[in-house]
Amino acid sequence: MKLVVFEDIQAAANFFPISLSRPVFELRCGMFNLAEKITKRLSAEPSAYLVRDYLVATFKRRAGSAAVNDLAAVKNDTVLMVNGQVKAASLKVAADGPSEIGMKGDQVVYCRLAGNDTAKIDAAKVGIETLPLVDGHNVAVKQVEAEFFNYSWDIMLESPHEIAHDFKMVGKSGIEGTVEQPNAIRGSKDDVYIAPGAKIHPMVVIDASAGPVYLSEDVEVHPFTRIEGPAFVGRKSLLLGAKLREGCSIGPVCRVGGEVEESIMHAYSNKYHDGFLGHAYVGEWVNLGALTTNSDLKNDYSTVEVMLNGQKIDTGSNKVGSIIGDHTKTSIATLFNTGSIIGAMGLLMGTGEPLPKAIPSFAWFINGVVTKGFGRKALYKTAETATSRRKMPWTQDDLDLWEKIFEITKEERDVAVAKGRKQMVRR
Amino acid sequence: MAVDKDDVARRVKEVTARVLNVDADKIQPTDTFSGDLGAESIQSIELVAAFEEEFNIEMDEDEALSVTNVGKAIEFIHDNVVKQHG
Repeated sequence: MKLVVFEDIQAAANFFPISLSRPVFELRCGMFNLAEKITKRLSAEPSAYLVRDYLVATFKRRAGSAAVNDLAAVKNDTVLMVNGQVKAASLKVAADGPSEIGMKGDQVVYCRLAGNDTAKIDAAKVGIETLPLVDGHNVAVKQVEAEFFNYSWDIMLESPHEIAHDFKMVGKSGIEGTVEQPNAIRGSKDDVYIAPGAKIHPMVVIDASAGPVYLSEDVEVHPFTRIEGPAFVGRKSLLLGAKLREGCSIGPVCRVGGEVEESIMHAYSNKYHDGFLGHAYVGEWVNLGALTTNSDLKNDYSTVEVMLNGQKIDTGSNKVGSIIGDHTKTSIATLFNTGSIIGAMGLLMGTGEPLPKAIPSFAWFINGVVTKGFGRKALYKTAETATSRRKMPWTQDDLDLWEKIFEITKEERDVAVAKGRKQMVRR
Repeated sequence: MAVDKDDVARRVKEVTARVLNVDADKIQPTDTFSGDLGAESIQSIELVAAFEEEFNIEMDEDEALSVTNVGKAIEFIHDNVVKQHG
């Protein structure tokens, strides 16, 4: 069987701004991303991925030996195409069997093609479009039980449980790194794993009484840090006297200080200083200035509404903080309201008041309004500086990706810029 | 529709005076925004926004921010007005 993980192109915008620059199945949940979870669930490495066209060039760098949007390699074998939005634990499908499309309502869960049907695969048609493609060739459609992540906050809310689940699945515990005394580990030591190369300074509390704590290779934890499980910290990340409350999943090479609760951070992002981040989903290369804080609970305890792609959506949860896209930087003392959707590649200056709940990508938020600022070239220059500091080159592929994202997000930004201009002139 | 350059010049000076809090009558075409009129970096962003609003035009931010003095701003804005509304 050849495994193909695909993203449902029509649903990808529901995960903006995090999915603007990566396939939906690369969103982190618990200790792994969604595709890795599916891979582990099915005990099969993907032979190919199907993603939005403009992501191909940059995603290929991370796809290993798997093909991207090229299914030539998987023909002549049974092919199992799985929707990357499916919660892996809910996925029930046999690797082999007759051709079949598994649907949950109108969402494709999987599409298994066997024998001559594999020749019918068309890489250009993925996600929900797979259905009419194969349906026309008399492939059986079956309603199946499965659960989906439909928005980024779904992933964030599920992540604490997933950390505990993944910790058990990985099956590692014990101390292989360095732990300087005095230190305190609360709960069972079986629920703590400190990987080789990790350095835990004195005066650190690891509280695994409510969930496991996994500290990856070369993590460094400075004094006066408290880590509450379930928690996952990716390799080479640095915790600086942080209060890491329960349910945090921190990607590799992040720097985290202040208070963080039930949040996800992708790689290379910094929240170095004090300030509260709760129920947040933060992309890559984000830098949150000192005292940047988000609200994650409304004073009336009602469910949090967000503005996503111009639509108001009730998240159904009373705990949603901010969703912040890649490469966005905030100034000192930036305040985010409950349920804020902050675009990618933005530069935001705090005002002393909570910022608007929706700020488009490439926004220069200055003096309380969205402006064109110094333009996107200046933002690219900053991004290049940030990536080169970590010895990651900023390539033509990166530039092409972000130019496409600039185009995709133009309409929303133009409206905000026009509104900002009027506000500025009225002062 | 012909675009009156003198009118553009007058309005550019008025907007500049308002944003930078200087006397419009004393603004000279050779005055630089940052050196002579004291515009800080954030004010230059405000100036671009204010010009766009005043003349109902969209300006490329890189090109707009490379304009250093009032005379060149008048030329640049006039050209944009002609292109977009002329």
